[in-house]
Amino acid sequence: MISAQQQRDWLQQLVTAFDYQHAANADWFHASRTSARQAIDSLPGLHRKQEAWRYSRIDQLFEQALHVPKLTTIAEQDIQRYLIQGLDSYRLVMLNGFYQPQLSSNDLPAGVRLAGLQQLLEQGDPILADIFRDMPQHNEHMLTALNTALIHDGTVIYIDRDVQLEKPVEIIYLNTEAGALVQSRNLVALAEHASATLVERFIGEAQPAYFHNNVSDIVLSKSAALKHYRLQQESPQAYHMSSLYLQQQQHSRYDSTCLALGGRWSRADITITLQQEYAECYLNGLYTVGENQLNDFHLDVQHRVPNCTSREQYKGIVYAKGRGVFDGHIIVEEQAQKSDAQLSNDNLLLTRDGEIDTKPQLEIYADDVKCSHGTTVGQLDEQQLFYMRSRGLSEQSAKKMLCLGFASDIIDTISIETLHQYASQTFMATLEQAVAEI
Amino acid sequence: MLSIKNLQVNVEDKKILQGLSLDVAAGEVHAIMGPNGSGKSTLSHVLAGRDGYEVIAGDVMFEGEDLLQLTPEERSHKGLFLGMQYPVELPGVNNMTFMREAMNAGRKARGKPELDVIEFMKLVREKARMLELDDKLLKRNVNSGFSGGEKKRNEILQMAMLEPKLAILDETDSGLDIDALRVIADGVNAMRSPERGIILITHYQRLLDYIEPDYVHVLLNGRIVRSGDKTLALELEEKGYGWLEGEAA
Repeated sequence: MISAQQQRDWLQQLVTAFDYQHAANADWFHASRTSARQAIDSLPGLHRKQEAWRYSRIDQLFEQALHVPKLTTIAEQDIQRYLIQGLDSYRLVMLNGFYQPQLSSNDLPAGVRLAGLQQLLEQGDPILADIFRDMPQHNEHMLTALNTALIHDGTVIYIDRDVQLEKPVEIIYLNTEAGALVQSRNLVALAEHASATLVERFIGEAQPAYFHNNVSDIVLSKSAALKHYRLQQESPQAYHMSSLYLQQQQHSRYDSTCLALGGRWSRADITITLQQEYAECYLNGLYTVGENQLNDFHLDVQHRVPNCTSREQYKGIVYAKGRGVFDGHIIVEEQAQKSDAQLSNDNLLLTRDGEIDTKPQLEIYADDVKCSHGTTVGQLDEQQLFYMRSRGLSEQSAKKMLCLGFASDIIDTISIETLHQYASQTFMATLEQAVAEI
Repeated sequence: MLSIKNLQVNVEDKKILQGLSLDVAAGEVHAIMGPNGSGKSTLSHVLAGRDGYEVIAGDVMFEGEDLLQLTPEERSHKGLFLGMQYPVELPGVNNMTFMREAMNAGRKARGKPELDVIEFMKLVREKARMLELDDKLLKRNVNSGFSGGEKKRNEILQMAMLEPKLAILDETDSGLDIDALRVIADGVNAMRSPERGIILITHYQRLLDYIEPDYVHVLLNGRIVRSGDKTLALELEEKGYGWLEGEAA
């Protein structure tokens, strides 16, 4: 096991090696870096003794020799093959952690700001300080602190009040560099009564390992509504950590669908604070894990005020020696009466060697609430398989069809037709591999 | 078409079929009747290739091939169909997608071109209408939330789509009211042809009022103890199975 001190040394070495000289800056920005850097030295190690890291064994990451990549760009024609045909979006492209203004949309409707973080810093744009300065620094654990200590580039999305943005905003994170520590930091803010759709796609090209360490803040003001789709398709050797922090104000609504299909080690932490009454969040997730893969979803939903609703529905398919981890924590605080919180996690274990660690946790301090949770781990049903085969389907087709059936209610929460189709196809391609290995 | 000789089958070390022999030729309708536990469902499952049945003796030839060596899907591709007593629900699997995939898997195995969506839809609508099956059920997930009668009609629909050479219908009449029974029987009768064999497995004579069999067999304690024409069914209706117990030994 790698000790906490070894982990700190590994992180500090990366931080020290980073050259800020060419980066645009701001004092308050740099202050965050400095305090995060200090935080790394006092944070506990990421190992089994920490409950939140009990099942997501991460030692191998700290054995990788990583470097902070140099600014690179990619030509317009080279990005084409990563685009989803027919998906009309306002696009933001990040390459190995660097925003690519030349590939990003700049013809935007009134009241919509989409930009790179460095770009706004260079321009000295006041919007950045206005919204960024009030954000938490995110030194919750070593990896978010690493992101803050090296905070450099990312995307900023701001939708002004009353703007209903029909066309989705799409962030493409393309990772192509072996050994890269890819850092991205995003800020998404929807002002009062604004609505938008955000598609995030994490795409990995390099076969060798890289580590994508992503931190995002989303703020939904009063009556704002965001639909959020995340497709994690990192390289099979990649490490992926994404930490999402969502703050919801009165009557705001958040709908999300996460698909985690790629990566060697991937983890998504989603922390939602229901800050004001009548906020609603609906979280859906689907993960597949196979040989040498681990995927972890950690949800932390905080009902702090009365009359809020939260729904979490996550499903996983595990094959070969894959490992799936699900930790769904919901806390309903004492004053949060009339909270409605429901969580479910269902898993299909296709092989004996796969493993699922699922942990729903409801912590309720209020007495007038509607809360429930349930988790299941099951196998493909022999009777169903026989039925399908007796009608002529091969064993593999029958298995694929049952897996797709199992996952379909999650995939069907994607309401953009082209994205739904793309997600189904991508998921089916993963299943092909899964079924071939069982 | 189908020739079963001295079939002996164990389920969990218990002998269920004890030397069953049966021949079905193309164009014939055979009814197999028998009380609970006589081995009717075991017979249908063994013929369709379900796991968990140990054949300890006997042969089953289907169209000149050793049926017992084939996987369930190969049996289907060769033209065997089992309409199940308890059709399973397939959550999240669309009924039409399932039927189309099943049909095309069979066509592909037989070297025929696959049906495209439009051709398939036309065909399935036509057959569904004949079985008075609501179009809505085609769009739903396979058997999910279907009533007992709807499940059975969905089985007959699949049979009509797959056009098997030999159809085995296992207790297709159980749980049906008289109107549903008539619709199902019409569906089956429409499938009767000189090229097709049909085996009806049933408890009751009632089904045979609507689908007239050429032969009736009585299955008792894992063996066919009496064969005859349709009048045997009427005799059973009157006397029960008790009078044949002695012949089973």
